[in-house]
Amino acid sequence: MWRYAAAYAKGRQSWCQPNNHMEKSRTERRDPVCGMDLSDVPEVITAKIHGESFYFCSRMCSARFKTDPEKFQGEPMIHLHDVWKVFHDGDVTTEVLRGINIHIWPKDFTAIIGASGSGKSTLLNMIGMLDRPTRGGLFLEGKNIARTSEDERALMRSSKFGFVFQQYNLIPWLTAYDNVTLPIIFSETKGGMERETIVKHFSDIGLGARMEHRPTKLSGGEQQRVALLRAIANNPEIIIGDEPTGNLDSVTGAKILDMLIALNKKEGKTLIIVTHDADIAKKADQIITLKDGKTIPGHLQHAKTYTE
Amino acid sequence: MFQSFLSLTFKGIRYRPLRSWLTVIGIVIGIMLVVIILSLSGGLKNVINRQLQMFGSDLLMVLPGKESNLILGLFGGQKFAYSDIKDLERLPGVRTAAPFDIGTLNAEFRGEKKPVFVHSSRWDVLRPIFEESMGTSLADGHWPKDENSNEIMLGYLAANTLFKNKVRSGDEIIVQSKRLRVAGIFETMGNRDDDNSFYMSWDLFHLISGIKPGAMTAVVRVQPGYDPNLVARQVRFELAKQKEVEEFTILTPVRTTAIVGNIIGVVELVLVIIAFVSLLVGAVGIMNTMYTSVLERTKQIGIMKAVGASRDSIMSLFLIESGIIGLVGGLLGIVFGLAASYGIGVAAESYGAPDLFNWAAVDYFELLVILIITFITGVLSGVLPARAASRLEPAEALRYE
Repeated sequence: MWRYAAAYAKGRQSWCQPNNHMEKSRTERRDPVCGMDLSDVPEVITAKIHGESFYFCSRMCSARFKTDPEKFQGEPMIHLHDVWKVFHDGDVTTEVLRGINIHIWPKDFTAIIGASGSGKSTLLNMIGMLDRPTRGGLFLEGKNIARTSEDERALMRSSKFGFVFQQYNLIPWLTAYDNVTLPIIFSETKGGMERETIVKHFSDIGLGARMEHRPTKLSGGEQQRVALLRAIANNPEIIIGDEPTGNLDSVTGAKILDMLIALNKKEGKTLIIVTHDADIAKKADQIITLKDGKTIPGHLQHAKTYTE
Repeated sequence: MFQSFLSLTFKGIRYRPLRSWLTVIGIVIGIMLVVIILSLSGGLKNVINRQLQMFGSDLLMVLPGKESNLILGLFGGQKFAYSDIKDLERLPGVRTAAPFDIGTLNAEFRGEKKPVFVHSSRWDVLRPIFEESMGTSLADGHWPKDENSNEIMLGYLAANTLFKNKVRSGDEIIVQSKRLRVAGIFETMGNRDDDNSFYMSWDLFHLISGIKPGAMTAVVRVQPGYDPNLVARQVRFELAKQKEVEEFTILTPVRTTAIVGNIIGVVELVLVIIAFVSLLVGAVGIMNTMYTSVLERTKQIGIMKAVGASRDSIMSLFLIESGIIGLVGGLLGIVFGLAASYGIGVAAESYGAPDLFNWAAVDYFELLVILIITFITGVLSGVLPARAASRLEPAEALRYE
């Protein structure tokens, strides 16, 4: 308990203030872009910008920083600070996430990659507030949300996040249209799509005639398109995809990915995707590579290795 | 929001129709029983009271055995001596005292043999009891002329339905190998047993049956202007002197009504307990269905939570569902209960007990209370499963297969 309390206090002191993470980056050898702790990393990229030294985990991060240094001096949209997730099953203890430090910036497309069992989905669940860290700080727009009440989390999930799952996860007894309206029904805030907008979206994705069909009557690609519509029904800022193309053939998968990327590029949604596909990862603004519950530096060069 | 939740719930229920209906049936049975009890108990009291009124308010019934166990007394074989009953006529306030003996004898009419229930007494005391106290008239024929004639009387059903051929006055019937003539046939007395019986003079009955003479019961007719309760006390005092039957009971009309009321009360209580238990079983059924539902829908609960459903929302969805099951069960229980009561009423009418069920006597406020109770039972049965559902962690629920 005291460890958690210390981490929480440290998190609040260190990261709640705007731009405070920049100070930390300078003193703690932390990558200002992806947020990775580089204290124990032997090979880091250093750069002197306007007379100040910065450390980067990879060329990708350093290039991003140099392109738009102003962006990375602001507040990350999502920030995980020393996040641990430990599961207990009888006497067996499994550390799935072991001190994760990451930054996710507004309007970025972030891909999370890693081998099976590396903790990708668990990390995504933390980010999407579907699960709580065992310890560590989890910040959304500067507010530590690691220990908020379940009702607050539900409210944030409803207003901030849209989810697309590998298994589509549509409710089987509801029609495609009803599935899309589900987040609007549960939302306590207004701002969800109107019926006309939903109907138009159904037409846009080629499912205008299938709105009243149940999920079992739809193909995998059609179900995922419905799931995508559901994800944006409440107009969230962040879209989260857990291997959204994993169950689809390459052509359908590419279409779904294009739709997701369009949401990111054209509508400015922050997109976070867990994927096994190196080609998808390469389209991302930022790649987070996980190995044994930890992030590892050198995002791009490991993309191939950890997605195969 | 409530409307949307209601719509979601109905869609969920429609997706699992068999399970939902089976759970509803569990409630329907309990409520049906309650409705039948409520709608028939009033009618039952009326029917019995009417029968008692037909028996006559100036009559006392003397039975062997304790009041708490009259059936045992009747079948115990103890009989009053004829003279002891006859002697009661000497008491002030006693108009007549009719000893009754009962037995089952074999009767044959036009080659058709049937066992029949035979009442025996003295015609001279039986006639005023039937005609004046009970208001029973004759449908056909006349009363036997004297005690020693070979004539008998038949109840209405005994004459019309017991044998294939209808019996008329003047017909001959062989009882225990003795040829007897039917003097007359009574109108219905509103009691199936009495209507199905033969009536015979005291001497003739004991002569042809070989049954040991003695009065199994006795009916005492009170003189006008005398209090039946006081006369009953005197009869008790007088009969206490005789040695044949040590324990006996004297039923006055008031006492009989009270005993019947008590019996109905006990029957009602037992039925209400059964109804309550079956409602409880129905409630456990709802709880079971809802728990199974939580297990079955764990993943869907995870999905709903992922798209923003709060604990309260999930809880509401499950409570609405269990409430609807309770409400539908209650509604159908009331409909089927009323239908069954109506059916029982019709059947009872053909059995000689009219007005057992009466639409005008149905208490609609009572039915509304039942409906509210079933709704609340449904909701309460859903509380624990709904709580379990609402407390599921979204990530854990989503992993559930």
